[in-house]
Amino acid sequence: MTRSTEGLIVATASALAAFGVTLVNFARGDGVDVQTGLTFLVFLIAFGGLYLAIRTWGHKATPLLLAPVAALTSIGFFEVYRLSTVRGGLQRWWLLIAAALAVGALALLSRHGTSVLRRYRNLILLVSVALLLLPNLPMDWGFPMRGLQLNGSRLWVLIDVGFTEMQFQPAELAKLGLVTYVASYLADHQRALREAHRRVGPFTFSEPRQLIPLLVVWSGSVLILVWQRDLGASLLLFAGFVLLLYAATGASGYLVAGGLLAVVAGITSYLAFDHVQRRVIAWLSPFEHYQDEGFQIAQGLFALGSGSLSGAGPGLGRPDLIPNASTDFMFAAVGEELGFAGSVAVLALFALVIAVGLGISFRSRDTFRKLLAAGLTLVFAVQVFLIVGGVLRLVPLTGITLPFMSYGGSALVGNMLLLALLVRISHEEAS
Amino acid sequence: MNGPIRRLAIGVFAAMASLLVAVTWFQVVRADDLKTDPRNPRPALSEQAKERGVIVARDGTIVARSIQEEGSRAFERQYPLGPAMAHVVGYSSFLVGDTALEAAYSSELRSKRDLTISDLISAILGRDLRPQNLEITIDPTLQGAALEALGDNRGAIVALDPATGAVLVSVSTPSFDPASLLGSDAAGQWERLLTDPASPLSDRATREIYAPGSTFKTIVTATGLDTGMVEPGSVYPDPIELGLPGSEATISNFGDRPCNDGDPVTLLEAFVRSCNTTFASLAMELGASEIGITADAIGFNQDIGYEWTVPQAVWKTAELSDDDAALAQSGIGERNVRATPLHMAMVAAAVANNGVAARPYLVERVFDADGETLSSAEVSEIGRAMAPETASVLAQMMERVVTEGTGRRAAVPGVRVAGKTGTATGSGGFSNPWFIGFAPVDNPTIALAVFIEGSSMSGESATGGTTATPIASTLIETWMARGN
Repeated sequence: MTRSTEGLIVATASALAAFGVTLVNFARGDGVDVQTGLTFLVFLIAFGGLYLAIRTWGHKATPLLLAPVAALTSIGFFEVYRLSTVRGGLQRWWLLIAAALAVGALALLSRHGTSVLRRYRNLILLVSVALLLLPNLPMDWGFPMRGLQLNGSRLWVLIDVGFTEMQFQPAELAKLGLVTYVASYLADHQRALREAHRRVGPFTFSEPRQLIPLLVVWSGSVLILVWQRDLGASLLLFAGFVLLLYAATGASGYLVAGGLLAVVAGITSYLAFDHVQRRVIAWLSPFEHYQDEGFQIAQGLFALGSGSLSGAGPGLGRPDLIPNASTDFMFAAVGEELGFAGSVAVLALFALVIAVGLGISFRSRDTFRKLLAAGLTLVFAVQVFLIVGGVLRLVPLTGITLPFMSYGGSALVGNMLLLALLVRISHEEAS
Repeated sequence: MNGPIRRLAIGVFAAMASLLVAVTWFQVVRADDLKTDPRNPRPALSEQAKERGVIVARDGTIVARSIQEEGSRAFERQYPLGPAMAHVVGYSSFLVGDTALEAAYSSELRSKRDLTISDLISAILGRDLRPQNLEITIDPTLQGAALEALGDNRGAIVALDPATGAVLVSVSTPSFDPASLLGSDAAGQWERLLTDPASPLSDRATREIYAPGSTFKTIVTATGLDTGMVEPGSVYPDPIELGLPGSEATISNFGDRPCNDGDPVTLLEAFVRSCNTTFASLAMELGASEIGITADAIGFNQDIGYEWTVPQAVWKTAELSDDDAALAQSGIGERNVRATPLHMAMVAAAVANNGVAARPYLVERVFDADGETLSSAEVSEIGRAMAPETASVLAQMMERVVTEGTGRRAAVPGVRVAGKTGTATGSGGFSNPWFIGFAPVDNPTIALAVFIEGSSMSGESATGGTTATPIASTLIETWMARGN
């Protein structure tokens, strides 16, 4: 695939978003209105801008990243719009902001390359931890940035920008920073980690002294998220660390130890927290608890089943019956309205992004870039698996977003930056 | 480092493959189970959101329509006349189902659009997917007057066009607002209506059977006249009470008084005064099977083929043939005799229609979205209940009931009204007042039955002659005043 084909696909994806919005309008009994044109324009500006930025500052990067991301974003967008016109309008603003930030990131990285991230990893760590702690700002003080608690979780920051209030979930950005830090640390200590090791039974582990800073960062950030009751993000970070550690050392003992730790932590939190127990009940027997715990998952499955092979059509299903359809249950909403065909397409697009990301890592010569690409892609993959698997009852539901598709500004910003980083790494490795 | 990354990639793609398997499981293998799971509200919601046809009354009044909701393709069903038409039109609710005409004509009223590719194919084939509409025989003004006339009583009123069987009024009280079963509080409203001791959901006009009491004397009299065994001048003794053969039971007249101060009484006088002893004797004289022939010709003991299934009116010929005591009680519309108010209106209509019982119907025609008639009601008869001469004599006897007998309060100035009152034994010691009749006698345009359930009043005031007749008078007056 060439750069021009990429451009064509990105333009097509913009048209797809506008077409989806138009179909939703028709389903509502309205005709073509300003929403169609506005959507096309915003997508063209956002993805066209990204495309031009890649041409300018990352022209050697693989053309296979932006195209599937544009397609996923456009499908997700008209489904968000279908569920709520207001959220659709907000999501368009967020798309512009996220694309602008990703363009900015590409521009910044064009001078010094990704190695600058390696150099300033301690600063990045500091900023990331600060971001993680932001939601714990007082909820009622006068400062225009306040903590916010929603649905029993303390994950949000409310920013009062005078004319309106914005909600932001800083963990979405902290996630990137922490992965960058860990990749950088592992790249620096790779040799030591691999060579000085201790045996525990059949498994080998690195010298604890080498691991201590990493373990502190890791357990610290996971504990902050557990404390904030962000089940999804804590699981995501936990898995990301373990997988990256394994990627860097090749010691399968980390996977085993991580798995055991996850089981122990899971059982402990099941015993300790009501909200974890409710999630497990909903996961194991949603239909038996249809009236309460299982309602959301059961509705999600009804949506998928009703969507069947070809789906109800945009705007013609009833995904609005699923609680939190536009965030946690975006996959079920798409499955209902676009059917099995749409679900498979979405999974295929995610698989493509993941495959390309891992491919970038695989072909990287520089250790940091290799680990950064692997880390970012793995966290992305785990996120897709956790939320889609949660909807499909493979794992208990953890409230995280479906990348590029769910409603939510912070998630979109975080994922666009992730895209920019992968593009940049791909470009540098091809240079 | 590529070794571990390769192994991780394998793991990641195994996980993605498991997602693919799971989504195939739910969207392909189990899709139909999930789609049709009774807890999945989608099928019912999409049916509810579809357009349904308009139901208009004979005068063009809209009694049911679908209005498209603002900013949505979904339609909302509206019942502009509310409680007045609740038991006729019924409701179409995803939560509690369909009833009455909404259920009986569901396939006509439904939109056949399903917003899939099949719509396009149908459009190419020229099929009309739009919902069809109904024009019904109900007279909304009279229907509203009937609801108002029943007031706080539990009861029913049915009025028919005697010549055709077209239902002009069919009201059951207490009623309810069908729109309340469509909204967001449908479940709560349904629960409230179900548990209401006055059972507002039951249609007393067509779906409940009651002892017709003395109004049944019209059938006994018709049988007597038809067979030639009696005539209006036939003379009967006037005992205080009539001992029943092979039984300890007796039959007495209203208020345990003689009917004519103990002097012999003619059949006409006995009919006008509603003497129980006379008609008990007459019933035994005629025999169960002769009465049964007349009753069956008006549709007793059979499905009358109404718009929806209605309970059969009951006259148990076989059971009464060798039990004179039971026959005597049945002859005055008690014991096991049962009929819906609709059926008793049919009895009055048969007398009015020269002895022929017409099949009652509600739907005059079905028409498509362009107003083109797709099918019209065909007037049909259930049977000839009595000879034309019998009907004419009986009509005169019934007129005397209104001019000088128990039905005096049914009189309407300037209109010749015929009728028969009844006071049946209801449940729990209450009595159920009745009136059946028709007007005008020389050229009947309306036949009706007024039924009141479980009158809480007692004595004279709880009879059909006191409580049911004024209602009949009001309705006939309203009907005639409008030039019918």
